[in-house]
Amino acid sequence: MNPKILSSIGLAALLVGAFALPQLVTVPYFMHLIILALIWVILAQGQNLIQGFVGYVSIAQAGFMGIGAYFSTLLSVKLGWSVWTTLWLTPLFTTLVSVLVGYPSLRVKGHYFAIVTLAYNMVIFTILLTYSSVTGGEAGISNVPRPPELSVWGWVVNFEGKSNTAYYILVLLSALLATGICAIILHSRVGRVLVAIRQNESLAEAMGVSTWRYKLFAFVVSAGLAGFAGALYAHYIGFLNPEPFGVDQSLNAILAVILGGSGTLAGPVVGAFAVTFLPEYLRIADSYRLVTYGFILVVATIFLPRGLVPVAQDLLTRAKALLGKNK
Amino acid sequence: MTEILQQALNGLAIGAVYTLIALGLTVVFGILGIAHFAHGSVAMFGGYLTFVFSDRWGLPFFAAMGLAMLAGAVLGLLIERLAYRPVRDAPHINAFIIALGLTMMTEGMNLLLFGADQVVIQTPYRGVFNVAGIAIAELRVLVILTACVLIGVIALLISRTKTGKSIRAVAQNRQAAVLMGVNVNRVSLVVFAISSALGVSAGALIGALLAIAPGVGEGLAVKGFAVLILGGLGSIPGAIVGGLILGVSEAMAAGFISSAYKDVIAFLVMIVVLLFRPEGLLGKR
Repeated sequence: MNPKILSSIGLAALLVGAFALPQLVTVPYFMHLIILALIWVILAQGQNLIQGFVGYVSIAQAGFMGIGAYFSTLLSVKLGWSVWTTLWLTPLFTTLVSVLVGYPSLRVKGHYFAIVTLAYNMVIFTILLTYSSVTGGEAGISNVPRPPELSVWGWVVNFEGKSNTAYYILVLLSALLATGICAIILHSRVGRVLVAIRQNESLAEAMGVSTWRYKLFAFVVSAGLAGFAGALYAHYIGFLNPEPFGVDQSLNAILAVILGGSGTLAGPVVGAFAVTFLPEYLRIADSYRLVTYGFILVVATIFLPRGLVPVAQDLLTRAKALLGKNK
Repeated sequence: MTEILQQALNGLAIGAVYTLIALGLTVVFGILGIAHFAHGSVAMFGGYLTFVFSDRWGLPFFAAMGLAMLAGAVLGLLIERLAYRPVRDAPHINAFIIALGLTMMTEGMNLLLFGADQVVIQTPYRGVFNVAGIAIAELRVLVILTACVLIGVIALLISRTKTGKSIRAVAQNRQAAVLMGVNVNRVSLVVFAISSALGVSAGALIGALLAIAPGVGEGLAVKGFAVLILGGLGSIPGAIVGGLILGVSEAMAAGFISSAYKDVIAFLVMIVVLLFRPEGLLGKR
């Protein structure tokens, strides 16, 4: 059979499975982890855009996630806006913020850029923690509302209550949307320019590409996705404090991209699930978690610099070649 | 006016520590091109070790610091050999990600070995002099002096010795240095040992001056990089000037604006410098 058709069938089966998952999984905790992992997929796709495509490591992803989470929460809690409105507005707002901060930081390259974005994340975290008259400080904001019920062709979809099925579908659709946006960007002219910048920025510039525009574009889209993920996170958990938006979460996003395979579309998906589920299974050694995590990151970078997905693809092609020989 | 001088003096002591951190970072960056982000955590490791040596073993503060610096140098050697050397020829981004992983590992190791409690190293230097209305704490003066001595030793080492000559040669042109028979592997080990020892001294001084706690190390590494950006990457005079500017401006911000936002102000200074002079105050264009 044509391999293209085969992979489309595989993808379709995966999608059907994903939508049917709430009917198959009966353990609520497992469902909870899957929802978190899908939110992380959005975050990691954003991170991949700037880290994997352009080759600029941004350490501000969790900061932008925090901006999105607080923006959407404050609008819905303090001003009483509908969550559907705030979910749409959040990516726009984070995008706007990221244009303002991205412009100066993209004047610098390589390590400088990483350090400046790291400083942004620290500033965002400090402000969230200290400006407590608005953000609630460390005590945070409780009772963040879920989206109100929605009626689709006569069906009433309820997002509140104990069953997370409806929210799962919402998050799944959002993760698909994020992956779709990244796929469109990767396969467009813009995507090719982004990859060209990663491979040789001076050459790209010499070819007449004004690289900073493309870099800013990637940074801004990445921040928008992070903000969106933040809003989804806040309305899902229902409680918000600055803790999940520190630098270590940004490092986690980097780890997700590296583990999965940077510069690929499937990589961040695999990586997001890995960073959500790995800590759960490493819980046995809770005090060793940080050391184990760092060790995995170092070892993965040394021995598996391209990530899991490209390695799996290689193995698959090799297996196919072997099968072909035997025939 | 005395208030301003007082804050400036406090800032100078902290700035001296920032300079020590930045010096270690700048040597590694200038010579190997690695943004060694785990440096702050290594410094904290040294701070904890100094605490253990002086508090549990009863060693005098400076002896404990010296011993911790030796241990730090060994840790630096291990880090270079085991983590950075395998990715030396890979893209820079890989070395940076290794650095992030090392940060997690060192932070985790600190937590496991020394616990999550905040630690203050007790020193016998508690005197306070009063000069023209300004209170001068003995400890702060000692911190500044220690930093000056260490900076002087490093400057001599780099400008006067044969090892220093080979370090400078590698910094200027790696290929040419290799052709001249410089052992690059040895240089890079030496550089990491020196840099980590300097970081440890900064960690010990911070422990005596303020406190050591989990998470302080990352903040310290970011401050160190802020200093490098202020002064210019790879420039030793830049590290000194940048460290003092950052320390003093932070102390001023804490004294006159708000101590909660002092870190924010330090980063704002860095961002403004990047906007108008991306190569740093003393960097080459």
